[in-house]
Amino acid sequence: MNGRPGTIRSLLALGLLALLWPSPLRHLLERDMAVHMIVQLPLLACGGFLLGSALRAHEPRWLAEADWLGLPGLLLVIFTTSFWMLPRMLDAALADPAIDGVKFLSVASFAGLPLALSWRRMPALGRAFLWANFIPKLGAIGGLYLAAPIRLCAYYRLDQQAAAGWTLIAVAVALAMAWFVIAFVGVPMSQAPAQSCRAGNEAA
Amino acid sequence: MTMEVTAGRVALNARAAVLAYLAVSGIVLLLMMLLGLTMRLAQAQWIDVEPDFFYVVMTMHGAGMVGIAGLSGAAVMWHFVRRHVPVSTAVFLVNLVFFLIGAVLILGAGFIGGFGAGWTFLFPLPAHSGELWSANAAAAYLVGLMIIGVGFLLLHLDIARGILSVYGGLGAALGVKQAFGLAPEKGGPPPAVAASTMVLIVNILGIALGAAVLVVSLVNLYVPSFTFNALAAKNMIYFFGHVFINATIYMAVIAVYEILPVYTHRPWKANRAFYFAWVLSTAMVLTVYTHHLLMDFAMPAWALVAGQIISWLSGLPVLLVTAFGTLANVYRSGLRWNLAAALVFVGVAGWAIGVIPAIADGTIAVNSVMHNTQWVPGHFHTYLLLGMVAMMLGFTAYLTRPQPRYGLGWIGFWLYVGGGTLFVLAFLLAGSESVPRRYAVHVASWLPYDRVGSVGAALAVTGVLILIARFFAGVRTAAQAEDPA
Amino acid sequence: MKAGFPVLLTLVLSSGAAALAYGTEGFHAVTSEGARALAVERTPRPVPDVALTDQDGRAFSLGDYRGGAVLVDFIYTRCPTICTANGGDFERVLARLERRQARGRIDLVSISFDPQNDDREALKRYGNRFGAQAPRWRIAAPVDGRGLAALLKTFGVVVIPDGFGGFVHNAAVYAVDAHGRLVRILDPDATEQIMAAAEQAATP
Repeated sequence: MNGRPGTIRSLLALGLLALLWPSPLRHLLERDMAVHMIVQLPLLACGGFLLGSALRAHEPRWLAEADWLGLPGLLLVIFTTSFWMLPRMLDAALADPAIDGVKFLSVASFAGLPLALSWRRMPALGRAFLWANFIPKLGAIGGLYLAAPIRLCAYYRLDQQAAAGWTLIAVAVALAMAWFVIAFVGVPMSQAPAQSCRAGNEAA
Repeated sequence: MTMEVTAGRVALNARAAVLAYLAVSGIVLLLMMLLGLTMRLAQAQWIDVEPDFFYVVMTMHGAGMVGIAGLSGAAVMWHFVRRHVPVSTAVFLVNLVFFLIGAVLILGAGFIGGFGAGWTFLFPLPAHSGELWSANAAAAYLVGLMIIGVGFLLLHLDIARGILSVYGGLGAALGVKQAFGLAPEKGGPPPAVAASTMVLIVNILGIALGAAVLVVSLVNLYVPSFTFNALAAKNMIYFFGHVFINATIYMAVIAVYEILPVYTHRPWKANRAFYFAWVLSTAMVLTVYTHHLLMDFAMPAWALVAGQIISWLSGLPVLLVTAFGTLANVYRSGLRWNLAAALVFVGVAGWAIGVIPAIADGTIAVNSVMHNTQWVPGHFHTYLLLGMVAMMLGFTAYLTRPQPRYGLGWIGFWLYVGGGTLFVLAFLLAGSESVPRRYAVHVASWLPYDRVGSVGAALAVTGVLILIARFFAGVRTAAQAEDPA
Repeated sequence: MKAGFPVLLTLVLSSGAAALAYGTEGFHAVTSEGARALAVERTPRPVPDVALTDQDGRAFSLGDYRGGAVLVDFIYTRCPTICTANGGDFERVLARLERRQARGRIDLVSISFDPQNDDREALKRYGNRFGAQAPRWRIAAPVDGRGLAALLKTFGVVVIPDGFGGFVHNAAVYAVDAHGRLVRILDPDATEQIMAAAEQAATP
């Protein structure tokens, strides 16, 4: 948490966010539903995350204390991402550059940034629980997109919607497999879970 | 000094928590057995039950039994695995609380809302009730299951965390290296850890997929324009359902590994075959569910053929090492039978016998004529009532007063074993005569089976009532006591 | 856990719930189609007086229908899929209108959003396919691009290329009431609901 990695991270974050800013690359990243959902939104969150991890050292004390176990922060992440994944909001972001700007700012600052701050406060059990819920729900949303007989977004064709569905399912499967392999083989985290376990107990 | 006191208090709480699990399981088990008896009596035409209500009863019986099988299995697993790895009593209790909340919702959905779509909530049946139940009743059922799933997920993840903190990886905790001869058997994980690891792997995956399909069903209930591929949903539901109910026996079997050696004074040897069996069964339990879809012509043929072959093999590795291990452990050990040992022994036998009709039904040619008959309830009642429940009752006896040579406990034991056998035989015989399952009203020629089954069920309920009453009589002392060793 | 926690949690929960309620029209719609239908029902919007020409070459505008109801749909005549189905849907409505005896006029207008290709001939051919005759059922095209844009915006029609030289667009039937306001957006094959909405819209 010393100065230099923080500076590099802030620069990286600002560079990424500048690149994504809704003018030049916007149409490239929003032309396709799958890319919009699986590339643009996560990249925005990633920019916010980098910014958050760079600012971590400057986090006000009251925030760190009020964000108990990271619960409020992670709830904010869930609300923000759910909101922008509503088919209606994907449409609205495409139709209106002003709404796209709001999306840009809010995904970076209400999803990526709190993720960087709150995730570390969540005990290991809570993190595992969030993963175990996030992965299958991602697949379920993909399945809903695949089976929907109607177009959910006015701006995307049915075949784009199906492609987005398959992509979501593929991402879910890949994440599940990665998670499983990591737990099965055991990365060098023989101490890590014990530590976070202890941290969790202390926090509780 | 302070340390010891604290440790003692924590240990006491953990023990009380296990007893609370078993108390809830015991009460729900009895209530659900009464519902089962109601269905048999209705089919036997000894009592009058409206067909609509029959399906409510069937749904509640199924959900409740699967629930307490999971709950009591979790109690067995948690009780023994915490001897080896750190686990949280708080999380264990949270699961019980979630279970009770979910159970209230499910019972409300059934007995107030009239939900009767079967415990498997096959998509899109909950949304197509034919006016028998409202969308809200179906939602209460689905949300109830979801809350129970959240509790179980937390518990499993917490045990996984504990196991990882000691063994580093699930592979090591399962004994993969020992299974393939890459490490000496001696340093392998204890049986309780290997078994728990298998259960964690399959159940976390099963619950995750179950939660996904529950979400989809809920969305469909309120926004019908959002549909889902019904065959994919059926795959997910049976993956979840099969894994979850199958895992209950793999949790309960830990009681066999831990309880029998106490009375035979011989340790349960975990050898290479033992580890190999558990590794193999882990993989097969995850792939075997397709035998529930053998009648779905839209399924790809390879999946069904694989389902057939894996069905023949799936249960066998662990069953064989356990059955042989049990016989080897008991044979000439000078064991003086008590209720705990006798019940877990019956459990292994019930499990072994209960698998045989499943292997028959797992064969596509047989399945197409047998699957919708009472053969299948015959199979799973043998497996669960005389297998899983016997192990669970053995565990309750082990924790309370296992030792009586004579007395009421043994009367309960024989009523349960004898009545249970009669009850499952009635199902199996009726099934082989093609009596359909899930029919509320039976024709005259089926009645003899129904009546024999009813008598058996009544005897078994009486037996279990005695055994559970015995548990409650001893539960206060048990909370203070320590495990027999 | 600090005192700030409940405050922060409440803040996140309430603002998150409020955002989701806003984004789904009070948990009633997740797609822009559904949201638009709800919004129109709650607050009817005036329809612009855009200059149109019909299959007989006659100039008119939607304003001419004031005092009676008009049902509108959007098409392009080369459309091989939904527009054909829409034509059939309006044909069924037309049959019902001919048997109708109640007071208040109800007319039909199909507006092409592809005026480059849909000349008078094309409109005529489309009309003949379904037995459309002015003035009961006009097949029309906007005179200029500005008018078309104004119509699409008011009615909330989104037209995107289908990748095969045609278009994909949201299909609906729009009911405009006797005061010239868009009052309902309906499913094109729900003839009964369309009739009921039209009757209601026709009563001044």
